[in-house]
Amino acid sequence: MFASVKRIVFRKFKEAETKLHELNYLFWECTTRCNLNCLHCGSDCLKDSSFKDMPLGDFLPALDTIESPPKNFTVVLTGGEPLLRKDIELCGREIRKRGMRWSMVSNGYLYDEQKHISLLNAGLGALTISLDGLEDSHNWLRNNKNSFVKVDNAIGLAASSSRLNFDVVTCVNKRNFHELPEIYDYLISKGVKAWRLFTIVPIGRAKSNQDLILSGNEFIGLMDFIKDKRKDKSIDIKFSCEGYVGEYELNVRDSFFFCRAGINIGSILIDGSISACPNIDRSFSQGSIYRDNFYEIWQTKYQPFRDRTWTKKGKCANCKDYRECQGNGFHYWHGEKNNALVCHKELIEQAKYVRNAKS
Amino acid sequence: MKRNWIRSIIGGLSFASALFIFQACYGTPQDFQTDLLVQGQVKSKTSGLPIQGVKVSVADNMQHEYTDNEGSFSFYTELLDQVTIRFEDVDSTQYGSFADRDTVLTNIGNNVYLDIEMEEK
Ligand code: SF4
Ligand code: SF4
Repeated sequence: MFASVKRIVFRKFKEAETKLHELNYLFWECTTRCNLNCLHCGSDCLKDSSFKDMPLGDFLPALDTIESPPKNFTVVLTGGEPLLRKDIELCGREIRKRGMRWSMVSNGYLYDEQKHISLLNAGLGALTISLDGLEDSHNWLRNNKNSFVKVDNAIGLAASSSRLNFDVVTCVNKRNFHELPEIYDYLISKGVKAWRLFTIVPIGRAKSNQDLILSGNEFIGLMDFIKDKRKDKSIDIKFSCEGYVGEYELNVRDSFFFCRAGINIGSILIDGSISACPNIDRSFSQGSIYRDNFYEIWQTKYQPFRDRTWTKKGKCANCKDYRECQGNGFHYWHGEKNNALVCHKELIEQAKYVRNAKS
Repeated sequence: MKRNWIRSIIGGLSFASALFIFQACYGTPQDFQTDLLVQGQVKSKTSGLPIQGVKVSVADNMQHEYTDNEGSFSFYTELLDQVTIRFEDVDSTQYGSFADRDTVLTNIGNNVYLDIEMEEK
């Protein structure tokens, strides 16, 4: 009873947030160069990206169009690998000069003590580092035999800082799925306070590598693992925002599923495109900073993000949970956009059905 | 107004974190912590000239920076009730030789500018 009241109120809250569409979170895809060659990379970026890093001088005028940003407004530097930029500290300082916060997503390979200090000096406030398993699995997925040693050092440094709002993300796949309890212990031993787990979107390099995609049974195993570990509170563990998980909602996250792409999350991508999360199909671009006023676009466009009724097709057309899910994470709509690429709820239900039939 | 109304109900239903804290799958957590911008210039007490290469650090913390050729420094650090900033001449006699000193900051806002004079040894 109480759960259904919560659900209804949350639905109202989502509607209000969508109507207001306050920009709180801006991704800046500042480079697509990368020093690793991960098997699951959704962006297919390579060391020698055909795109040059976006000059800071191109980004700042777009940022300056934002009228009175809210207090918690954050610019999230992403890539590629942002640490390949030589001017990363300058970028951060320019953002802070404008009264805004900045944060960064990194693979940790170049995050040594000197970098840690210079980034803190430049006002870095939050950091996410990717760890994709224990040594062998991490090195396998990251395609680099030294990457675990490097990321281990980076995690130790970041976790030692009481200033940083730091978390580790793990992309759960067939290879690291059975290591989750050990990764959990490892992270606690490193002093990490928050751990976010997500699964691989079957696009980019991941599409052709079946070792990466979890089966329904494994996905349930992941949900149960998170649900179980959330009880002992040693680490703030959660499933990422990626999708609606039906009966596991509220057991694996702090709140119900809410894809905020285009509602509170915007982005400026490497070619100047204006969009939302960088993993969203690039055809959803709403404009370009080289042509348009960024904030005007934020305020006046983004219709497909704010009115998701167009996703009521394919498997979502007659879904009884549509109001809660609204077509799953926006990043699951690619290509022709005739169907959501993944339905987590379906994955869970089908696997449970098979389990029950067998027992 | 409408939003505040909805927000209070949501807060009451223990969804407080859902209101303000969110992150995209490939994004970072948000940063709600208050911090402190420490800026300033270091000069010689005797000559009044800026000193380059002085190590400016936060005590009990690995954060530090070196003054530039104008004796200037600028960095963000965690805002605590009391922050001790340490000035050390670490480059031997390259830009002169100065006695180390500490400056204790209390009751600080979000930024502070320090004019520091160091005594020649
Ligand atoms: S069918 Fe579509 S709307 Fe329904 S749960 Fe699955 S992804 Fe969500
Ligand atoms: S598009 Fe995907 S990553 Fe972005 S907020 Fe929605 S679910 Fe999260």
